[in-house]
Amino acid sequence: MTKNIIPIGPQHPLLKEPISVNIEVSGEDVLGGSLRIGYVHRGIERLAQERTYVQNVHLIERICGICSHVHTTTFCYAVEDLLGVEIPPRAQYIRALMCELERIHSHLLWIGILAKHIGLDMVFMHSWHNREIVLDIMEALSGGRVSHAANLIGGVRFDMDAEHESMVRRKLQKLGDQLFGVLDAIRTDPTIRARTIGVAPITADQIREYSVVGPVARASGVAVDMRRDSPLPPYDKLDFNVITYPEGDAWARTMVRVDETRESLKLCESILDQMPEGPVTTRVRRKVPAGETVIRAEAPRGEVFYYLRSDGSEFPARLKIRTPTLAALSLIPVQLSEIRVADIPVVLAGIDLCIACADR
Amino acid sequence: MLRALIDALFSKADTVQYPYGPVSLPEGFRGAIEFIPERCTGCGLCVRDCPANGLELIRESREDFQLWYYPARCAYCGQCQLTCPRGAISHTNDMVLPTTDPEGLAVLLKTGHKNSNKKQ
Repeated sequence: MTKNIIPIGPQHPLLKEPISVNIEVSGEDVLGGSLRIGYVHRGIERLAQERTYVQNVHLIERICGICSHVHTTTFCYAVEDLLGVEIPPRAQYIRALMCELERIHSHLLWIGILAKHIGLDMVFMHSWHNREIVLDIMEALSGGRVSHAANLIGGVRFDMDAEHESMVRRKLQKLGDQLFGVLDAIRTDPTIRARTIGVAPITADQIREYSVVGPVARASGVAVDMRRDSPLPPYDKLDFNVITYPEGDAWARTMVRVDETRESLKLCESILDQMPEGPVTTRVRRKVPAGETVIRAEAPRGEVFYYLRSDGSEFPARLKIRTPTLAALSLIPVQLSEIRVADIPVVLAGIDLCIACADR
Repeated sequence: MLRALIDALFSKADTVQYPYGPVSLPEGFRGAIEFIPERCTGCGLCVRDCPANGLELIRESREDFQLWYYPARCAYCGQCQLTCPRGAISHTNDMVLPTTDPEGLAVLLKTGHKNSNKKQ
């Protein structure tokens, strides 16, 4: 049978962000694929060198529209590390609370997209409806739905009073009530099972070979989670499970995110329970002493890596950001073989693409 | 799942009819910029920290300066509010309405001599 190339992207209804995948097919069988990225490269690492540390917090928030908070959190911890400052415990807990809320809304967004690609619009609508509750919480706390601007170097911008806390608890309770039914339905739904079980399996060896992190790695049985392996405060004081599934197929990747959403909801509750009293900011100098540091954190899609070098001025000398999607993208050509054409959306959606993060 | 369906049937729509209906915004929402000229000393700290070059200080002398604000560039991040030591600049709860003329938005926040509001 003749071979054909199906070009998907850079603009395609399947994709929310620009990426180009050329898929080689023979009839209904996918033979292979190649990938091209870089369409939304904005040169953020270079731009960061021309801005002060204070301005960079807002620049870095704009790397990604989903995991914006974890990027600024990692950057702020890196700068605070160079400054030799430890932020107040309450600020650490508020940062972690925002990180977990972000993980919930990121995973709900992904579950919705997967369901949409499978053709199950009802799950898409329910998960995005529930995601709205999380965005409302984040907006009420920080003043922004997407760009929260919650972090500053030396702490967080807002404090939570009793009213905020009861609002967050009430809304999380409502979210849990509504969501658990949907998550249970995803686990047992015959359509989702039929479309994902056994599709595009990734072995643990491939995960290690391609240095893939996050939920994709955990779905292949590789238990990497920066919250446990290299914890930023206060994750060392919190108790949570690292969700792993051994199968490595699209089903396992779905279930990891479903279970992590529940785990993050529990984690939000325990963060609120343990939240200490006290100030939320500490005064820091504008000039950062010369030195270099590496900080890693667990974003919704996996490990984010920040390398920061300072030459003693107000501007960073070098900022290197490694995002989880870049490693996961390298697995797409591997996955695009021995599948059917109808499985392509599940494979492309399955690794939770964030091209803005990967291209920076 | 069935319960969720029944709940959805008897609850109000979650969507808002923007721009035809009111939008409920939380207390700390970072909306339009409010400026109190009397408090501004022209120190320029907000200009130095603005990540989007949304503020510009044109200074002739200590007393003679102009502080311009460009809403089209503004990222509504709230850094100026945080930086200003005198509380001269802050976010209000008002939604910023869209426009097709970004240049016409520029506002002269404070000037040493003249007191005009709009860029000529």
